[in-house]
Amino acid sequence: MRMFHLLVLCLCILGGSIGCKKSDDGLKVYNIASTSEVKGMDPIYAGDLYSSEEVGRVYEGLLEYHYLKRPYILVPNLAQEMPQVSRDGLTYTFKIKKGVLFQDNECFQNSKGRELVAEDFVYSLKRLADPKLQSLGWWLLDGRIAGLNEWRDKHANLDVVNYDEVVEGIKTIDSHTVQFKLVKPYPQFLYALAMPFTFVVAKEAVEYYKKEFLNHPVGTGPFQLSVFTQSNTIVYFKNPTFRDKFFPSDVDFTLANSELSKDAGKKLPLVDKIVVNIMIESQPRWLVFQKGDLDYISIPKDNFDTAVTPNKELAPDLLAKGIRLEITPQLDVTYIAFNHDLPIFKNVRLRRALSLAYDVNKSNTLFYNDTALPAQSVVPPGIAGHIPNFVNGFRGPDIELAKKELQEAGYPDGKGLPEITYDITASTVSMQMADFFKARMAEVGVNIKVRTNSWPELENRIQNRTVMMWGIAWGADYPDAENFLQLLYGANKTPGPNGSGYSNPEFDLMYKEASVMQDSPERTAIYENMNKLIASEMPWIFGVHRQQFSLKQSWLKNFIPSDFTTGRCQYVNIDKSEKENLVKSKF
Amino acid sequence: MNIYIYIIRRLAYLIPVLLGVCLIIFLLFNVVAGDPTAVLLGKHPTAKQMAELRHELGIDKPMVYQYLDIVKSAFTFDFGRSWATKQQISSMLKRGALPSLTVSVPAFVLATILAISISLLVAYFRGKFIDKAVVFVCVMLMSISSLVYILFGQWALAYHLGVFEIAGYDEGFPNFIPYVLLPILIWVVISVGPDVRFYRTVMLDEIYQDYVRTARAKGVGEKMILFKHVLKNAMIPIVTFVIIRIPFLILGALLIESFFSIPGLGGITLKAINNNDFPVIKAMTVLSAVAYMVFSVVTDVVYTVVDPRVRLK
Amino acid sequence: MDNVAVLDGELIIDEGPKSKSLWRHAFDTLLKDKVAVISFIVVSIYALLAILTATGMLAADWAKEVGSSYSPPSAEHIFGTDIFGRSVLAKALVGTKIAMSIGIVTATISVVIGVFLGAIAGYFGGKTDEVIVWFYTTFSSVPDIMLLIAITLILGKGLFAVYLALGLTSWVTVCRLVRGEVIRHKDREYVQAASAIGGSHFRRLFIHILPNIGHIMIINFTLLFQTAIKSEVILAYLGLSVQDAPSWGKMIDDSKLELARGVWWQLVAATLFMFGIVLAFNLVGDAVRDALDPKLKGK
Repeated sequence: MRMFHLLVLCLCILGGSIGCKKSDDGLKVYNIASTSEVKGMDPIYAGDLYSSEEVGRVYEGLLEYHYLKRPYILVPNLAQEMPQVSRDGLTYTFKIKKGVLFQDNECFQNSKGRELVAEDFVYSLKRLADPKLQSLGWWLLDGRIAGLNEWRDKHANLDVVNYDEVVEGIKTIDSHTVQFKLVKPYPQFLYALAMPFTFVVAKEAVEYYKKEFLNHPVGTGPFQLSVFTQSNTIVYFKNPTFRDKFFPSDVDFTLANSELSKDAGKKLPLVDKIVVNIMIESQPRWLVFQKGDLDYISIPKDNFDTAVTPNKELAPDLLAKGIRLEITPQLDVTYIAFNHDLPIFKNVRLRRALSLAYDVNKSNTLFYNDTALPAQSVVPPGIAGHIPNFVNGFRGPDIELAKKELQEAGYPDGKGLPEITYDITASTVSMQMADFFKARMAEVGVNIKVRTNSWPELENRIQNRTVMMWGIAWGADYPDAENFLQLLYGANKTPGPNGSGYSNPEFDLMYKEASVMQDSPERTAIYENMNKLIASEMPWIFGVHRQQFSLKQSWLKNFIPSDFTTGRCQYVNIDKSEKENLVKSKF
Repeated sequence: MNIYIYIIRRLAYLIPVLLGVCLIIFLLFNVVAGDPTAVLLGKHPTAKQMAELRHELGIDKPMVYQYLDIVKSAFTFDFGRSWATKQQISSMLKRGALPSLTVSVPAFVLATILAISISLLVAYFRGKFIDKAVVFVCVMLMSISSLVYILFGQWALAYHLGVFEIAGYDEGFPNFIPYVLLPILIWVVISVGPDVRFYRTVMLDEIYQDYVRTARAKGVGEKMILFKHVLKNAMIPIVTFVIIRIPFLILGALLIESFFSIPGLGGITLKAINNNDFPVIKAMTVLSAVAYMVFSVVTDVVYTVVDPRVRLK
Repeated sequence: MDNVAVLDGELIIDEGPKSKSLWRHAFDTLLKDKVAVISFIVVSIYALLAILTATGMLAADWAKEVGSSYSPPSAEHIFGTDIFGRSVLAKALVGTKIAMSIGIVTATISVVIGVFLGAIAGYFGGKTDEVIVWFYTTFSSVPDIMLLIAITLILGKGLFAVYLALGLTSWVTVCRLVRGEVIRHKDREYVQAASAIGGSHFRRLFIHILPNIGHIMIINFTLLFQTAIKSEVILAYLGLSVQDAPSWGKMIDDSKLELARGVWWQLVAATLFMFGIVLAFNLVGDAVRDALDPKLKGK
C-alpha cells in the first residue's frame, strides 16, 4: 500500500511538472521552428539560411531590405543614409548612425555595451577577409576592394594577422564615417552590405571569447541571445538598449495589407521574446504547429494534401482555426547539370533532346505538389532579367521532338551513347527524382545509371570532374540576376560556382559587360538576352523555380513572406489576447 | 595468476588495439574519403581558399603526421573542434551523452528485466506449449526490421492514436520524459526477442547440469530450483552479456534518435558522417572503441571472479 | 545492427569428434521436425522466386508504370502502386532476388573469412594467433556503422559494395568460435594420429579438423544470412544500398515519407516479404542447431 502511495505521489509530481509549461509573465513570445541545426552565430560563417537567420536577430549591417516594399530595395540600417558614391562608381562613403550601442556584455568594460563607431566596420570586414579564419563570405569581397587581397595574401603566411595595418580600400574618415574604395565597379556591393557576412561585430567580444565567439554573439541588433543549445532550442530576449528604430510608415498602406498600418511608426522590436525550436523532421513540426505552439511553418511536402485543397486553398479545418496560407515564390532554380568538359555534352542537340524527354510537369506534380513554376531559363521570376511569358521551345515533355533531336545529334534512339551516370545526394526524395529521370530518359533510349553520394562526395566529384550529369539547385544570395547568370560564366568554372563548366564566348562577353553596370534598363536588356541565349543553348536541363507554401497563425501580425528573411523578427508582432482566445476555443 | 596483474595486462593490451583502431580510422577516412573543403566553404569556394583551408585543417600534412595526430588525440582524448560546426567536440559529446542515455538506459534496463522474467517463465515450462509459443513469438518479433518498428510505432501510436509525442526532446528532468517513452517502448520490443532467446538458452544450460539433478533428487521444489540454483548460476553469463553491451548504450541508437529527433550522440555521429566531419567521426570511433574494450575487460574480470571454473589465461 | 547472441566457444562442452552418423542422425531429426520442413519449403520458394526474377521470368518489367501514382491495393495490383505507378508486388519480387543474393554472398564471405582466420589462429597458435586476435579485436572495436560507410566509400555504391560491406563487418564472431574449437580439437588423438602418419598442416587442418566443426559454420551461416537481409534495411536508410533496383530496404525507407499521406502498402509488402524469409531462416537455423549441436541432443 505504501508503495502504491509513493507511486501516486511520483506520478502527480511528474504530471504536474509536465503540465505546467514555463510561464512567460505577459511577454509577447514569437515561437518558430528552424528546420536545421544552427551551427553558430558568427556572421562570417553565416553561409546557410539557418545560421544567417539567427545571426540577423543579434547583429546588423549598414543596409537592409525594406521590409514592406517589393521589388526588393535597400534602405539604410546602421548607416545614417544611403552612401555617397563617387562619380567613377568606385568610392562609397557611409555615415553611420550616432548613439548606437552594442548589447551589454561582460566582454566590455563594466559589462556595458559601448557605442558603435566606424572602426568597427573596418574591423568586421577585415575579419571577413582574415586568411586564418576561412570565412564563408570572402567571395563577396575577393578582388573587389583596394588593398584587401594584398593584405590577406600577406598575412596568409604570417603567424599573426595584423588588423592594425591600414588597408587602402576600407578606411575611417572620422569616428562615424567609413569609406570603401573598390578596384573596379561592383554594382552588387551594396547587396553585400545587407548580407549577414558583413554585419558588424565588436572587437572586444571577438578577443574575449576567442574560439567560443560563435556561441556568444554580441551585436547591436534588436535581440539578445539568452539560451543556445545547438540541437534543441535558442531563446532570445528583446535588447533593452536597442536604438530608436521604427516600423516603416513610408508606404501606401491602402494598397498593402491595411493590418500593417496598425504598427506603422511603432518602436521596434515588437515582440519581447523569440523561441526557436530546432525541429529537423517535418512530421513533428507539422503537429506542433497544429497545436498552436508555433506561429508559422512551411508546409511539409507530405502534409500538403491535408493542408491545401487542389485549388491551392487552405483546408477548411485549418481555416476555421484562423490559420492563413502564404505563397512565396522563391528566388531559386533547380536544374540537372551537364559536365561540359565531356565531348558528348558539347553537342547542343543532345542537350536539347534530353531536356525535351524530361517531363518537368509531371515532376512538378510528383515532387512539388504542382506548386513550383517550371523554369524556362536560369533567372527566376521576381528579379530583373526574368522574361515573363517566355516559353523555352526545348522544354519537355515532347518525346517525338526529343527523338528527332536525338537522331540529329547523331544518336538515333540513343544508339552510340554511353551509359550516362546521374549523380545525386542520398535522400529519399532525390532518389525518387533520380528514378523518375531515369525512366524518362529510357523512353528515348538513353541509358542512365543513378549514383548516390553524400554531399561532400558529390562536391568532390564535381571538383574532380568525375561527373556526367547531376541534380542540384541554386538559391539567390541577393536579388540580382547576376547571381544566377554567374553560374554559367566561363571564368567561374570549378571550383567556382560554374560547376557544369559551361563556357560560351558570346555569353561571357555579355556577362562581363553587365557585371560592371548599375541597375538600368540597358542592363536588364542584356540580362534578358543572356537568359534567351541560355534557353536555346540548354547548358542544363532546367527544373523549376520553387514556391514556398507557409502557414501562419492568425495572431501572428506583420508577417511578410520574403527571400531575405534576415532581421524579419523585429517587425513581426503577436496578438496575445487573440492567441489566448483562439487556442482556448479552437485548438 | 594474480587478478590485479591480469587486469593490468588486459588494460595494457588496450594500447596495441587502440593503435590499430587509429590505423583503421586513418586508412578509411584519410586516405579514402574525399576532401571536405569544398563543402565546408559553402556556395562560393575558390581554389586558393580551399588550399588555405586544407592547410588550416592539417590535411595537407604528410601521411605519417596525420596518423600521429590521430594517435595523439586518441590517447589524450583531445579531439579539437568539429570541421562542420566549429564547435568544441568535447562539449558536443557532453551535450549529446545525456539525451542518449535517457533513452538507452531505461530501455536497456526494462528490456533486460522483461527478458529475464520471460525466460525464467519459459524455463519453468520448458518443452511445454507455452515455451514453444513464446520462442516462436520471439522469433517472429526478430523477423521484422527495426526500421519498420520505428516507422510504424511513430505513425500508429504517436501520430494516429496520439498516445505519445511524435518526436522532439526537452532538456532536464522531468521535461524529457514524454519524449522518450515511445523510443523506449520501441527499443524494448526490438530487443526482447533476441534477449529472451539468449537467456532461455543460458537457463536451460543450467537446468540440465548435474547439481540441478541432484537437488531435484533431494526433493527440492521446481520453483526453488529455478530461483535459487538456476538463476543464481545463470547470473554469470547474464551479467557478462549485460556488461558487454553497456558501451553500445552510450552511442545510443542511431535510428531511434534520428527518427525521434533526440539530440544524442547517435544523431551527432550520423551528421558527422554525412558531412565528412572527420574530427567528430574520429572522436566517436575512438570513444566507442575504448568503451568497448574497457567493458570487455570488465566482463572478463567479472567472469573470472565469480566463476572459479574459469582459469586466467 | 541487431545484436546476435552467440555463445562463446568456451561455453561449449567437450564432445568427441563427430562421426558421419551424427550428420545422418541430424538429417533424420530435421525431417521429423514439421516446423523445420515447412521452413525449408518456404526458403525453397523464396529461392525459386529469386531465380525466376534473376532469369527475367518474373517481374522483368518492374520499372513499367502500370497504374496511377499511389493507387491502393486492388485485385489487379495486390500491393498497389508506388509514387510512379509501378507495381509494388513486382518491386518486392525484385527485392527478393536482391535480398537472397545479399544473404548468400554476405554469409559466405563472412564464414569463409571467419573460418580461414579462425582456423589458422587456432591451429598455429603463437605469433600467428596473437596477430589474428589483435586484428579481430581491433576490427570489432570500431563501430560497424563507421566500417560500413568507409567500405562503401572505397567501393562506390551498389550491390557489390553491399555484399562486401556486410560480409566484412560480420566475420569476427565466426572467427572467434572457430578459433576456440580448433584449439580444442588440435590436440585430440585423431589429429595426433593424422600427424603421426605424416599429414601436412594443411591436411590436418582442412581434412581432419574442419569437418568436425562444420556445424558451427552451418549454424552461423543461417544466422548471418538473415542478419544480412535485415542489415540491408539500415544501409538503405543511410542511402548506401543498391542503386538501380528496388530492394526491401529501399521500399521501407521510401515509406517513411509515404505513411504520413496514408500510403502503407509499400511498407506492408516489403515487411511481409522480409518477414517470411527471415522467419523461415530463423526457424531453420534453430532446427539445424538443435539437430547438430550435441549439447542439446536428447533434451
